[in-house]
Amino acid sequence: MRISGRGKSEEIQEEDDAVSLCSLYAGSETFGIDTRKIREVLGQREPQRVPMSPPFVAGVVPYRGEVLTTVNLRALLEMEEQSGGGYVLVMEDEVAAERFGLVVDAVGGVVTVSARSLEANPCTLEARGRWLFDGAYKMEAGLMVRLDPQRLCPSRLSETGLFRKSTNGDADASLDRR
Amino acid sequence: MDDLTKEFIAESQEGLDRMEQCLTELEARPGDAELLGEIFRAVHTIKGTTGFLGFDRLEKLAHAGEHLLGSLRDGRLAVTSDLISGLLRLMDGLRAILVLIEETGGEGTRSGDEDGELIAELALLNGAMPPEEIEPELLHAVVDTGEMVAEHTGVSEASKMPGALSAANSTAASTERAGGGNDKTLRIDVDVLNRMMNLVGELVLTRNQMLQSDRSAANFPELARRLDTVTADLRETVMQARMQPVGNLFGKFPRMVRDLARTCGRNVRIEFTGQETGLDKSLLEAIKDPLTHAVRNAVDHGIEAPSVRVLAGKPAEGCVRLRAFHQSGSVVIEVADDGAGIPMERVLEKAIERNLVTAEQGAEMSEREVLQLIFLPGFSTAAAVTTVSGRGVGMDVVRANVEKVGGSVEVESRRGQGTTLRLRVPLTLAIVPSLIVRCRGQYFALPQSALVELVDIPNQEFAQLVQRIGSAELYRLREHLLPMIWLDRLLGLGGESLETSLGHYMAVLEAEGCRYGLVVDELMSPEEIVVKPLSPVLREIGLFSGATVLGNGTLALILDVGAAAARAGVKPIEEEDTQLETREPAIQEQVGESFLIFEDRDRERTALPLDMVERIESVSLDRIEYAGGRPMLQYRGEPLPLRDEGDVLPLLETERQAGKETLATVLICGDRSSGLPRHVGVVVRRVLDVSPGTLLDQNAASDGTGMELALVKDRLTIVHREFGAKTRAMWQEVA
Repeated sequence: MRISGRGKSEEIQEEDDAVSLCSLYAGSETFGIDTRKIREVLGQREPQRVPMSPPFVAGVVPYRGEVLTTVNLRALLEMEEQSGGGYVLVMEDEVAAERFGLVVDAVGGVVTVSARSLEANPCTLEARGRWLFDGAYKMEAGLMVRLDPQRLCPSRLSETGLFRKSTNGDADASLDRR
Repeated sequence: MDDLTKEFIAESQEGLDRMEQCLTELEARPGDAELLGEIFRAVHTIKGTTGFLGFDRLEKLAHAGEHLLGSLRDGRLAVTSDLISGLLRLMDGLRAILVLIEETGGEGTRSGDEDGELIAELALLNGAMPPEEIEPELLHAVVDTGEMVAEHTGVSEASKMPGALSAANSTAASTERAGGGNDKTLRIDVDVLNRMMNLVGELVLTRNQMLQSDRSAANFPELARRLDTVTADLRETVMQARMQPVGNLFGKFPRMVRDLARTCGRNVRIEFTGQETGLDKSLLEAIKDPLTHAVRNAVDHGIEAPSVRVLAGKPAEGCVRLRAFHQSGSVVIEVADDGAGIPMERVLEKAIERNLVTAEQGAEMSEREVLQLIFLPGFSTAAAVTTVSGRGVGMDVVRANVEKVGGSVEVESRRGQGTTLRLRVPLTLAIVPSLIVRCRGQYFALPQSALVELVDIPNQEFAQLVQRIGSAELYRLREHLLPMIWLDRLLGLGGESLETSLGHYMAVLEAEGCRYGLVVDELMSPEEIVVKPLSPVLREIGLFSGATVLGNGTLALILDVGAAAARAGVKPIEEEDTQLETREPAIQEQVGESFLIFEDRDRERTALPLDMVERIESVSLDRIEYAGGRPMLQYRGEPLPLRDEGDVLPLLETERQAGKETLATVLICGDRSSGLPRHVGVVVRRVLDVSPGTLLDQNAASDGTGMELALVKDRLTIVHREFGAKTRAMWQEVA
């Protein structure tokens, strides 16, 4: 499922047409984020959970003297949670000047693709997906869904109200257990 | 805006701040040439620089002011109250333009003579005409000027009040604005900055060495130590740089008090002590409003009108004293007035009228408790709502603001002698001493300032100590029922529960008037934590005030103690507190007294009423001498007879012969009830505890030896009492 290095050379046709993306994985799906929008890729981290936080918040990690709130991509996609944390990408919402992290299963590498291979979101996509995805690149191995960091910023996710409802019911379960 | 202009604005504002102080001082000491010189310099500097930067409006106004000040300096004019007012208005005018420049980059010139009237007024003051002879119409012009300035500074409400008031209004607006410019800049001693740079250099060097060396290397511990000292030094230096003298804050009060006093028809002098006391810049900002409010209160409510003061036999001029000093790791700022004090019965009346307490509760309250009522939301005693105070937002806001930065507020009042308000704030905000606790595998930090005590609840005593009303659990802490909050339930924490067979730990916390016990799995160490802000999404949860990285590298969330109480439904009402407080002495009487419990015989607990025991001494056996077979101790130059009921001394003696270093524990007791100055020493094996207890029926145990039985901590304990008589007999025997 990884993007092979061979695909790279074929994709580049014109210089200004090329977009470099950082590929990342959640479950069996491949995503891409514009490398210019990623500040840093931290290694594998296990974010410290924050009780009572919205379900899409994976927790907090220390990052250069700050406490960084991280968003769990798996939770956004309603996938099962993975134990042991994951890779953290540091991004910044330039408009709100808010820095945040995105927790993914794995980070691939930098791939250069042609901007022309981008397809818009399908009209049959449900609301959550419409918010999260920003089209998809047609790759040899399949589709690489483009993510827009601006839309992944925790305060924006919370504003939309699309991801508020807890899907795993963690909080209720713990109360019952006592 | 270019840097030059920014710098000019910052500098001019500082100059004007100084000028403001000097002006109010000048009124008190009209002949002081030095003060005059300073004011002149401030205006002159502005005039000089504005011409250079091309701010014509500012230059014109400054020029008019300089002209007037020149005459004053040359002695052609005398300092009068009107003159000072005129100069203060000049200052407001200059400030307003500075604010305008700061916000818009321009002076807002349209017709070219915006300040015409103010300039005319200054010229008039400068003219041959003495200020007393100013025509009424001209006075109106003065009023208009005040309003005009108000409009320029963006005060929306058209002020229809008499002249003095509108001037005061515009002042308030402009000083608030002017304060804004100073928030972002800070003057730092170059030496401090150099030291910081040196330390940062050293930090880099140490890091380099650490990177090259290995954890197992021989010099690694030394490097770690160096890193530790460098960080500590650096932290201290940065803190020092952030420290600002409280005097910076006090500086604006003379003017405010002067204007306020005029508005309310009071005669008030303001005095300062401890202006040099340093406080963190952010804290200084945080207490600015509460302190301003407190000073306003002191002038408006505290100090009486001059006629009332004279009738009460006090000087007509009231005095507000601001005092800042360090006390046990925090800074205390006191606002004291010598006014009428807080009228207790009026406070109570008002509180009952507003349904804050019931009449029955009120009747039982002590003065101290009544005073606490003024901190309740929506409380105000002002008979009439004035522009200055009495709008019902008052002391509760002051307290909330001070508590927000981890401080506290106390009030003290004596009728006819004045009121003292004490704001206590921590030295710095960024680093907070906290207790780290663990719950379900997660770390949380509890600020020490909110921590009252820690309680260990062993499992076998759990059922006895924790009581239930419905589903609510209460802990019986020294006869107070304390609501219990389980941190894991409050936060909905999942995860593995810790082995709790040992029992539970409870931190007794107090914030915003509520006290409760927070049950956690484990108590870790106290740590000085560096507070990091949380992102908006996490702030929204409302239970955490920040996060911090612990020594072991993990993150801990800082619990907002007040918010947690509110979330769990602990009532922040003072009524509960006062009820508890009033109940306390009653319980004390019932129980009788506290006892000092000790062991003098094997397996026997003996107690003495605590008020009989004056000291506990550890004495070397050599010091104990014998007279007539009775042990004695030379204590404070007096022979002190020792009682050794439990034959502790012979036991110790054998131990000493065995070659061990032995110390005897002696309780120095005095029987105050018999009024005798005589003391007696009681030799005991060891001291166990201090605890309240209940005396049992005397007949049940007494056998005429002055011994009684008591239930202390639910165990039978012998109590020595009234051994005064016995001692005396013994003493006579010895003598």
